[in-house]
Amino acid sequence: MKKQIKRVSVFLLTAGLGAALFLLLAYAGKGTSGPFESLFSSLNSGIVTIEKQILNIQQKRLNSMNVFVKERDNTQWLKSPDFTLYGVYDDLTAETYEPVIQLEDSLKTKFPLIQIYTAWGSKREQVFPFLRVQAIYDLGSIPVVTWEPWLNDFDPQRYNWIKESEDPNKNGLSAIARGDFDNYIDNWAGAAARFGHPLFLRLGHEMNDPYRYPWGPQNNDPKDFIAAWRHIVERFRFAGANNVIWIWSPHPGYLDFDMYYPGDNYVDWIGLTALNYGTVATWSRWWTFREVVNESYTILSEYSKPIMISELGSLNVGGERDLWFGDALKLIHGEYSAVKAVLFFHVNSDITVTYKSLDWSFKGDSSVISEIKKNLKSVEFINEIVQ
Amino acid sequence: MKGNRHNYWQFRESASISDTSRFITGVLVSCGVLSVASLFDWWFREVHIGNITLYLILSVILWWGLFRLTIQWISYLKIKKPEIKPAPKDLKVAIFTTSSPGEPLSMFEKTLEACNNITYPHTTYLLDDTRDPEFTRVAEKHNAVWLELVDIPGAKAGKINEALKRVKEDFILILDPDHIPFPCFLDKVLGFFEDSKVGYVQVSQAYYNQHLSFTARGAAEQTYNFYGPTQMSLYGFNSSVAIGANCTFRRAALESAGGHGVGLAEDLVTAIRIHAKGWKSIYSPVIVSRGLVPEELGSFSKQQLKWARGVHEVLFDELPANRKGLSFWQRLSYFTIGTYYLNGLTLFLFIIIPYLFIWFGVLPAKMNFIDFIIRWLPVGISGLAIYLYVQRWLCHPEQERGIHWRGMVLKFASWPVYLLGFLLSLFNREIPYIPTAKKAVRGFSPYIYAIIFQQLLFLLTLVVVVIKRKYFTQEASMALSSGFVWGMVAFASIPVVISTGAIYAAFESLRIKTKEPWADVDLNKISCDEKTD
Repeated sequence: MKKQIKRVSVFLLTAGLGAALFLLLAYAGKGTSGPFESLFSSLNSGIVTIEKQILNIQQKRLNSMNVFVKERDNTQWLKSPDFTLYGVYDDLTAETYEPVIQLEDSLKTKFPLIQIYTAWGSKREQVFPFLRVQAIYDLGSIPVVTWEPWLNDFDPQRYNWIKESEDPNKNGLSAIARGDFDNYIDNWAGAAARFGHPLFLRLGHEMNDPYRYPWGPQNNDPKDFIAAWRHIVERFRFAGANNVIWIWSPHPGYLDFDMYYPGDNYVDWIGLTALNYGTVATWSRWWTFREVVNESYTILSEYSKPIMISELGSLNVGGERDLWFGDALKLIHGEYSAVKAVLFFHVNSDITVTYKSLDWSFKGDSSVISEIKKNLKSVEFINEIVQ
Repeated sequence: MKGNRHNYWQFRESASISDTSRFITGVLVSCGVLSVASLFDWWFREVHIGNITLYLILSVILWWGLFRLTIQWISYLKIKKPEIKPAPKDLKVAIFTTSSPGEPLSMFEKTLEACNNITYPHTTYLLDDTRDPEFTRVAEKHNAVWLELVDIPGAKAGKINEALKRVKEDFILILDPDHIPFPCFLDKVLGFFEDSKVGYVQVSQAYYNQHLSFTARGAAEQTYNFYGPTQMSLYGFNSSVAIGANCTFRRAALESAGGHGVGLAEDLVTAIRIHAKGWKSIYSPVIVSRGLVPEELGSFSKQQLKWARGVHEVLFDELPANRKGLSFWQRLSYFTIGTYYLNGLTLFLFIIIPYLFIWFGVLPAKMNFIDFIIRWLPVGISGLAIYLYVQRWLCHPEQERGIHWRGMVLKFASWPVYLLGFLLSLFNREIPYIPTAKKAVRGFSPYIYAIIFQQLLFLLTLVVVVIKRKYFTQEASMALSSGFVWGMVAFASIPVVISTGAIYAAFESLRIKTKEPWADVDLNKISCDEKTD
């Protein structure tokens, strides 16, 4: 009996120590995952740079945009540019920005801005998208990053707020303002500072819409939005990321903007979404561009910040899409003189609002293409940069 | 005497197994097994599947390798060292060594003289088919009985079986002619036969020429752990294997198995049959003889091909036939030995995966590189820790310890040989019996051309990638694809860099001086003292 007890305890001790050793290794692995990730990321961007130099790759697009490229590192100029900056978001750009190039070619233009979307969280793809912004910069454009503070993708082990809260998005903005996510924010800020070139950051867009995103007023006090925004901007400034240009982008459908405005010192641009859903759903009808933005523009132009139409798009159901775009661009260049940038919302498969996938893309619609081409205001600028 | 610098000619035995060392092994093995389990859990996830066929192939070969490794780790828990007993008096013992045409006479001078120096009373027999009267003379000079055994089918094993019929001794030590036995050889092994269930006693196979070339060093490195902790743990499961040289058989055991097995893996076959008849076997980790390891790449590859082909024979024929008599662990250990050379296939796939991506854009698995590294590192770290820790049971740790990178280089360069061996077995094609070259022969191993082809393919791929990237890649996808493409090129370069060592070995083999290493061995300096230096 005594012998058996001894055997069992030796076995348990051996297996237990083995398990402890394994957990130590696994824990070390998890702990080094972050540093590994940043090492890997800088290795990757190092490879991009070295390849460019060693293979002596011709940067044709960048060279063709030299008028713009001359200005793009000038953060002051970017806060009030003297011509309209066009850009696009295309959702088929995970592996290559070629769809952007193809759209540019059909419009006979070059887009100074290219937009990408990314959500908050502890997953690998939720770190600062260094490679993507570098790729955009290498092509001669400026990256516009829409940064969505979803709080449900964080590892509960490492974020107190997630552990304590049943729905982390409920009152999540106050947790951000309190500093619960500083670790994540600081990583982003550090990476953005290392990137070092101008970068538009569109944080927590449509924060005034209670039916869309979890950072809306259904979960948060608007005061907390302002507090969270200021906190994040301060963390970035503290990290030296002064190259970041902050876009505050409310939904045009609700006019209570002032409740959410973080203040002139914390906002560089104002973003405005202008999407026409046509008759695709019961709650929608064919809205003209003026109907979508007019009231909100009137209020927002008072803030004396440059305005960016951060999502410009129309579905093809219930009206004439080509005329919609032509009308929108004419209004932007005519009446809405505070608008200094326009981003086309060129999404092939959008499942964020309706249960079926919506197609906002117009690359195959020749009448839309020719209408947009005709109405691109900065013809002189484009001609200059295309030559 | 040149070899003395390496302290070759001294009796040695591996360290005994203390409770502490067994405990530490247990801790490391538990850690290793958990690491493998965690990698397993992560590997088989649907999101990781790329090309489904390739994913399955990759999974099977990777997990087959890790399964073998895990079995080996677990078997270390049973590591056991038999206590040497004094040899009983008046046993009738024969020593068999065989000679074939072309083998150098001077080597037999040395071996037979050393056999004559063995202190326990015995008779040495030279099983000869050279038809050369000089061999008769040398045998007689050293008190060996010369047996002329010409035109007997079955090569070495055939001669042994024929000689068994002609001699009467109860115990037979089979000694390869390149092995120089120490005087105490029989004194160290015969004691084990007091247990009447013991069918054979195998001792360590050690070498005295491994310092002479890169190939010799690498080839020897591949065997160190096997003749130390690996065989000791097989012994723990009563499934230690006979490996031809340095094995002493009980005649009754050999006869019950129908004589010595014939074929390319004759020793393994003999061991399986003897185990299947219910005999016990002993593995004693002692160095009581030293022999030769191939000094140049050609002979090394020939030897490996012979084993690869032979071992598969065991897997396909011998193991199923003798299944009934074997214990679970015996079956498992013979099965893992029988599939060792499948790693030709493993290495081949490891080599071609990056090329499949670079040339055809096919990927077997979609895994985050960092996730993979984080899951793999605990397996790698515990594997290395176990490998190094069990080296305390090497027979000659001062000389044999290390990470054995030369052995790894030769292994990476041997995939064409292993693969050929596997294919020959699969289609049941024969290779002629090739005695392992006893003396280094000059020449370029034919198998090295496959490695040179591999290197050229890599260079060509590199050129193609550069041209493709510079002239045929869309500007808009350059930055996003750069890291991955060059990562794959780096992956492809790993086996290329490693096998560069083998190309060095091949060139060294061209320059190697044909010499007779046994000429320098001074039999009077062999020491059987218990004390170690």
